[in-house]
Amino acid sequence: MPVTTADELRTKEQLYYDDVEVGQDLPSLEIGPMTTVHAFRWSAAIENWHKIHYDQDFSVYHDGLPNILIQGSWKQSIMPRYLKDLCLPNGWMWKVSFQHRAMIVPGDLITCWAKVTDKYEKEGLGYLELDTGMRLDSGVESCPGRAIIVLPIRGGREVPYPFVPPSED
Amino acid sequence: MSCGKSFLTDEIKALIGAKSERRQASLFEIEKEGLRRFTQAIMDPDPRYWDEEFAKSTKFGEIVTPPIYCTYLNRTAPGTTDPISLAFDADPLSDGIRGVRDASRSDDEGGLPNIPYPPELPATLNGGNEIEVFKYPTLGDVIYAQSEIANVHERVGRAGRHMLITTTETRYTNQDGDLLCITRATGLRREGS
Repeated sequence: MPVTTADELRTKEQLYYDDVEVGQDLPSLEIGPMTTVHAFRWSAAIENWHKIHYDQDFSVYHDGLPNILIQGSWKQSIMPRYLKDLCLPNGWMWKVSFQHRAMIVPGDLITCWAKVTDKYEKEGLGYLELDTGMRLDSGVESCPGRAIIVLPIRGGREVPYPFVPPSED
Repeated sequence: MSCGKSFLTDEIKALIGAKSERRQASLFEIEKEGLRRFTQAIMDPDPRYWDEEFAKSTKFGEIVTPPIYCTYLNRTAPGTTDPISLAFDADPLSDGIRGVRDASRSDDEGGLPNIPYPPELPATLNGGNEIEVFKYPTLGDVIYAQSEIANVHERVGRAGRHMLITTTETRYTNQDGDLLCITRATGLRREGS
């Protein structure tokens, strides 16, 4: 489990490119079990009034869904949040892509995960390519995707902020 | 199923590369209260979002927002006739989504043109999203967005059903023109069963 409290995020130690190998599983993040209140809080925060996210009768009896649904937009925010934490304090979450596959409903426990599929150096920085996802406790993968994160190399230069992609990209 | 026919018409091809205007995508400046509600909803207690003293000591040097916070800031402007009431006056069984603004909405002035998908392709699917992040917004920033129909291509599935795949790219910038992030949303329109 990666850091999940404010104090842990203040003091998180840097993950270096040198210390990661292809095939390695990076620390996962467990979220949930999700509830209707989590979904409602997200709807209110971003003013998404789609009833399938908070009106169970509408969701089940009108739209024929199994329950209210946890929002795709929430999932879309969770993956960058998870990858950002992995990169703190000085790395950078550059790219993330994902597909919305299985629905997430109240009661689901979510594990955000990342596995290193490739690593390479460019212009003095360490790039990791990752397979990523949000796996439910049922074993179903809800949000498969890929990502590229940038980590400092021990003794190397700082990852620039704002981030500047390598010149060939 | 339609064998041998293409749904990628010249009219649709002509829209590839069409851009919206660069439009304001946050109603107001980024402020602490909205940021608090958002970060608590994604269960992210990161002090970089709320502790000014700590944020000064980080590589960012100031409070920042979560990576793609800037893509969620479209709101209904005050003074607007309540879109929720209008939606339910028109349809008591409305699903409640009408009135939520989107930087890529095609029916707004200055927005992307509507793509004239053929009626034979009624089914809409979300094909996934890609996000590229360069900089985090900070308090006081105003967000702008410009969208482009980056590509439309056709694919025929195993069952012989045609599908048009549209990629819409949106570039988010701040008031100084700094590039914050790029989103690429893939939408699928396919033949019904």
